[in-house]
Amino acid sequence: MEDHQYEKPPLFSRWSTWYALVIGWLVALVVFFYFFTKHYS
Amino acid sequence: MSYADWAVLGITLIAIILYGVWKSRGQQNLDSYFLGNRSVPWYIVLLSIMGTQASAITFLSAPGQAYTDGMRFVQYYFGLPLAMVVISAVFVPIYNKLKVYTAYEYLENRFDLKTRTLTSFLFLLQRALSTGISIYAPSIILSSLLGWNIYYTNLFMGGLLIIYTMYGGTKAVSYTQSLQLGVIFVGMFLAGYMVVKLLPADIGFSDALHVSGKMGKLNVIVTDFSLKDRYNIWSGVIGGFFLALSYFGTDQSQVGRYLTARDLTESRMSLLMNGLVKVPMQFLIMLIGALVFVFYLYFKAPINFNEGLIQQVHQSEYAPQMQALEQRFDSLEGVRQTQVKTLVTALDAKNETAIRTAQAGLKASETASNSIRDEAKTLIREALPAADTSDTNYIFLHFVVHNLPKGLVGLLIAIIFLASWGSIAAALNSLASTTMVDFYKRMYKPEASDHEYLRASKFWTLIWGVFSIGVALFATNLGSLIEAVNILGSLFYGTILGIFVVAFAMKRIRGNAVFWGALLAEIAVITVYLSDIVSFLWLNVIGCVLVMLFSAILQPILPSPQTKQPA
Repeated sequence: MEDHQYEKPPLFSRWSTWYALVIGWLVALVVFFYFFTKHYS
Repeated sequence: MSYADWAVLGITLIAIILYGVWKSRGQQNLDSYFLGNRSVPWYIVLLSIMGTQASAITFLSAPGQAYTDGMRFVQYYFGLPLAMVVISAVFVPIYNKLKVYTAYEYLENRFDLKTRTLTSFLFLLQRALSTGISIYAPSIILSSLLGWNIYYTNLFMGGLLIIYTMYGGTKAVSYTQSLQLGVIFVGMFLAGYMVVKLLPADIGFSDALHVSGKMGKLNVIVTDFSLKDRYNIWSGVIGGFFLALSYFGTDQSQVGRYLTARDLTESRMSLLMNGLVKVPMQFLIMLIGALVFVFYLYFKAPINFNEGLIQQVHQSEYAPQMQALEQRFDSLEGVRQTQVKTLVTALDAKNETAIRTAQAGLKASETASNSIRDEAKTLIREALPAADTSDTNYIFLHFVVHNLPKGLVGLLIAIIFLASWGSIAAALNSLASTTMVDFYKRMYKPEASDHEYLRASKFWTLIWGVFSIGVALFATNLGSLIEAVNILGSLFYGTILGIFVVAFAMKRIRGNAVFWGALLAEIAVITVYLSDIVSFLWLNVIGCVLVMLFSAILQPILPSPQTKQPA
């Protein structure tokens, strides 16, 4: 691996945007699963 | 199995081995053997990370878990995306900066040699044992359902992959894992499609989901909090986070995967993409199990899915009692079929009263069936005292072997092998790299030629392969094997993670305090586990917190030798 500690991430300007995307996706999945569980129970 | 199944199985496995051998070329030193010259693109690293985590147990046990316990096991993965973020932000930049071969090298830089050695040893201990289970798990299931000899199956399962793992090192492991995962995804998609297709003509996907849900199998989210409950959203997010943080951040079988990436960005991308795809993937795998449950409401299910055990009981003096139980069990089959049809009619009519009545009737029949299944398990234990009566791991493969068309059965059996090989190969590679870098090169032969190191690396890959097969030959009575692996990991992961958290976050703590703190924490974790006070996922939290706590308490008491500055 090259020693570029502050490399620009793909698509976004900052890594924090990627982190927010992953966390946001998890929250969306949990909400979806919650309603999925309620709908079919 | 038919000739077509054998052909598909043989061709698939031979193709993978040849591909692995072809990728084995060009190994010259430790850097190429254990890090692939740090040249692997992020999407291959991603598939390699997923292939390492998803063993055959994932594809056999997870649908069985959904069949017996519902889909709440999915919550176990909720902490994983959060862990991917933390590892990308904190762990990977440090490993990248120090150019390490193993995660444990960093600990000597931060603390001292004994802390590095202790952590490496804990890793080797749990990874070698769990790799043995990873070999045994699919072998025992295949041998029971297909009548194969368990010893030869273990040798076949754990032996063939050693060829390309030993010669090819990490690059061969990563590229074969990518191909293996592609075949696995295709096979699992076809299996899911076939479950729905094999249902009665008037039952569609939506009907199957509603029936499964009414029977409590689509319970993906459980919000009730209990320390003893294995899978709820709290244990999943908190316990799962600590487990995933330790597994992906400090377990060399995973660290070794993303250290092969071309640069820091590609390492991070592979981990973050894993955070995006893992939970939906596990949801879909478990959904297959929930649908298999519906399939067996319409069609005859065995009294125990481990047919090998049933056959053995039928050959014993307990045969008449087993036949009587099977007659009682089969007599409920017609009742269940009528009740599930009534439930579907009520669901189509959206008649809530009729739905509740049919649901209650079907649940009562299911309870009665499960009661007879439990009686059968008791009888099996009497007839075969050494037998493992849990049939969770056999459910999905029983469905595959008895219901899927010729050729597809062979493909699904091949998937079991490929999934096993992917995770076992990565584990052997990590066991060898830790042995070589943290013990052989660090303590035994610090100065040797590239050729000698390469030869020793191949030797240790072979040794760990043989050891793991040996563990597999002695493994038995472990219940749900996916849980057995996770419980074994949870006994050590918390402590290992705690050492790394202290290293990253508690800058005043030095080697002696963290070393003795970790030993005390490990004793405490094993004591808590043996006391059966909490569910195993919480052991990860307890181990990590205790290492931090003990280290903080011991730091003022124990001498503090000068250590290097943390990275």
